[in-house]
This record gives sequence, C-alpha cells and structure tokens, in this order.
Amino acid sequence: MFATEFPPLGHIVNWPGFFGDGAFEFNKVVLVYVLALLMVVIIFGLAGRKKALVPTGLQNIGEMAVDFIEDGIVMDTMGEPGKKYAPFLMALFLFVWFTNIFGIIPVIQMPASARIALPLFLALLAYVIYHGAGFKEHGLGYIKHALVPPGVPVALLVLVVPIEFISKFLVQPFSHTVRLFANMLAGHILLVTFGVLTGALMGTGILASVVGLLPFFALVFFTAFEVLVAFLQAYVFTLLTGVYINAAISHEH
Amino acid sequence: MQRIRLLVVAGAIVLAATVGFSHTAGAEGESNYKDSFTEECAHLLSEGGTLDDCQEAPNPLVPAPHELLYGTLAFLIVFGFLWKMGMPAIKAGMAARSDKIKDDLDAAEAERTEASTILTEYQAQLADARTESARIIEEARQAADEVRSGLQAKAEADINELKTKATADIEAAKLQAVADLRGEVTALAIGAAEQVVGRNLDAETNAALVEAYINQVGANS
Repeated sequence: MFATEFPPLGHIVNWPGFFGDGAFEFNKVVLVYVLALLMVVIIFGLAGRKKALVPTGLQNIGEMAVDFIEDGIVMDTMGEPGKKYAPFLMALFLFVWFTNIFGIIPVIQMPASARIALPLFLALLAYVIYHGAGFKEHGLGYIKHALVPPGVPVALLVLVVPIEFISKFLVQPFSHTVRLFANMLAGHILLVTFGVLTGALMGTGILASVVGLLPFFALVFFTAFEVLVAFLQAYVFTLLTGVYINAAISHEH
Repeated sequence: MQRIRLLVVAGAIVLAATVGFSHTAGAEGESNYKDSFTEECAHLLSEGGTLDDCQEAPNPLVPAPHELLYGTLAFLIVFGFLWKMGMPAIKAGMAARSDKIKDDLDAAEAERTEASTILTEYQAQLADARTESARIIEEARQAADEVRSGLQAKAEADINELKTKATADIEAAKLQAVADLRGEVTALAIGAAEQVVGRNLDAETNAALVEAYINQVGANS
C-alpha cells in the first residue's frame, strides 16, 4: 500500500523539451524564464507609465519594489555610492523571485532556480561585477584590499592570504550559487515528496486516504512555506551580491 | 481594472499554452508508453542499457546549455529593461511626486509666511488704531476738561462777580437802610423828646444830640 514510486531526482527537475533541440531546446524551465521576463516587463512597464500623485495598483507595486531595493538593500549594504548598482540588484531580485515563485504556481510548479543554470550564471555575473567594481575602484591595489584584512599580524598573513584568496576568488561564486540552487531544489523536492505521497495514498482505501491527509496538510503547509522561501532566497541572493560589491568598493581597509 | 482583466486573460492563455505544450510534448510519439520517462527507459533498454541506467539522473550540478542560454538572455533583457526603462520611469514618477509635494509645501510655507506677515501688519494696525483712539479719547477728555475748567472758572467768576455785586448792593442797601433808619430814629427820637421835654431846644441842636447819641450807641454795639 505504501510502496509508492518516487521519481528519480533527474526526473523531478529535468523537463523534456516542448520544441527545439540542443542549446535551443525550449522546456518548462525556459518557459519559466520567459514568464518571469514577461511579468517583470509588463508589471514594471505599466507601473512606470502611471504617475498618479497617490500611487495605487501596479504603480504602487513598482514604487514599493524600487524603495525596497534602494532603501532595503542598496542603502543597507553599500550606502549612497551603491545607487548605481540598484538596477542590477533590482533585476537580480525580481528575476530570481519570479522564477522562484513559479515553484508553487499550479500547472507550472517548477522553480527555475532549482536548476543550477540560472543561479550559476547570476552568481558568476555578480562575481565579475563585484571584482570588476573592486579593480575599478582600487586598481591593482584591489588584490591587496581583497586578500589582506586590516589588523592582521604580518606573521599570520601566510595563513590568511591563501584563505582569503580561496574564499573570495574561488569559493564565493559557488557558495553564492549553491545557496540559492540547493534551497530551491530542496523545497521543490519536499513539495514533490508530499505530493507523490498524497497522490499515492489518496483513493487507495479508506485507511490510506485518512493517512493520506497528513502528507496533504504537510503539502499545503510547505507550499505556503515556499512562498516565504521564494522571497527569502531572492532577497538573500541579492543582499549578498550587494554585500560583495560593497566589500569590493569600500575604502574601510 | 481593465488592465488587471487583461493580465488575467493573458495569464490564462499562457497557462493554457503551457498545459498544451506539456500535453503535446508528452504525447509526442509515445502512444505505446505510459509517460516520457518510460519511453526514455525503453529506449535505454533497447540500446543495451540496464534498469540502473533508467534510474540514473543527469548530474544536477552540470548546467543544461539551453537553460544557461535562455536564462542569460532572459536576465539580460530584464536587466536592460529595468536599467533603461522600468526603474527610470518609476523613479521619475516618484521624483515628480516628491517635487510636487515639495513645491506644495514650499507654496504653503510661503502662504503661511505671507499670512503671518499680514496678521502682523493687521495687529500693528490694530495696535495703532487702539493707540490713536486712546489718543483721541485723551485729547477729547482733555478738551472737555479744558472746556469744563473754563466754564467752571467763568461760572466762578460770574458767581464772584454776582456775589460782589450782591454784596455791594446789600452793603448799599444796608447803608441806605441804616441811613433811613437813622433818619427815622432821629425823627422819632426828636419827636419823642419833643413830646417829653416840650419845646426847649431847637431842631438842629436836637438832631446833633440825637446823632451823637446814636453814634455812641453804634460804637458800643
């Protein structure tokens, strides 16, 4: 009765293509990218066209998003000098959030960030941007700025410099990637697990159906929880990008 | 509201298209299989693979090229749109509102200052008017006092004049009365004396005697 078949991991997030082959294959993950793109363009395109004195509807959403990014992320992590990075951080947050939230949208139910391609690209892009900003700000002195923390005794530099190099130049983009990717994949696997379990138990007998209510309620709970996770992961990814940029361009060392 | 309806309709179309895509993809050449995974497994088995190959999932840490390509394009479009159009338009709206609110506040401040100035002027004018009215009242009071004093002085002068005149009249009347009384008393005394002593003295002597007598009486009184 409980011998339900759990699909292999690759089958949970590895969607067949709707059309196209190879590098141009269009599958559900790509569809989520396109939907996220359309939602950003439509919502913020319409929000920017309306200029009422008292904002309502989409204008309100657009202004809240701008305030959230500028005041809640840029000013908190970088201050005034970080304002020029606000469009990049806003694009990061909105794109990641919209691709995450599709994990609980019925029929689609696939967070694109549960596939490593998008988190890896965004983390590498952020990596290039914050190190580029660091070199632009400090010139070649950025290497010392990045590798030699202030106040460290000279004797410890032999130990600290390699650690900082590994941390900031090698590990950071991957930790940035995996934090988003793994969280969204784990959430998606959790939903699939309870979904499969509910589906397997329901309708296979009275006792099984009663027992099946438990994973069903867990599914409802974790679906609601994924709303929070989708936002939180987008926020954390964007916030960390801001923190990394600030660490690269700051003169506090 | 109409835009929201349009968005809902657009969303429904997209969802329908998605379901359609899924069904199309799922139905593609698989009439003999339960689903695409079964079909994939059947292909693997027919190519000499094992059931383990069917369960083997692609490495989730290796990015799919098509997802990388479309993801990159989609993000760059989102970034470009927000950078050049979305954020500037929204921020322009916010800035316009801030400017309008600032202008309204400045205008309100200017009007408040103007009203305050006008109030100060009115208060100053009111104070001037009060001072002026007080001055006028004081002047009127002084004028009235002067008039009253003048009239009083004139009345007192008149009274004094009348009193002096009356005193003089009374004195004259008194002198006249005294003179008349003296004459009559003299005449009476003479008559009386004549009656008493008969005819022993002439009239002038009698008058002189009586006059002397009366003066003596007047001096004693």
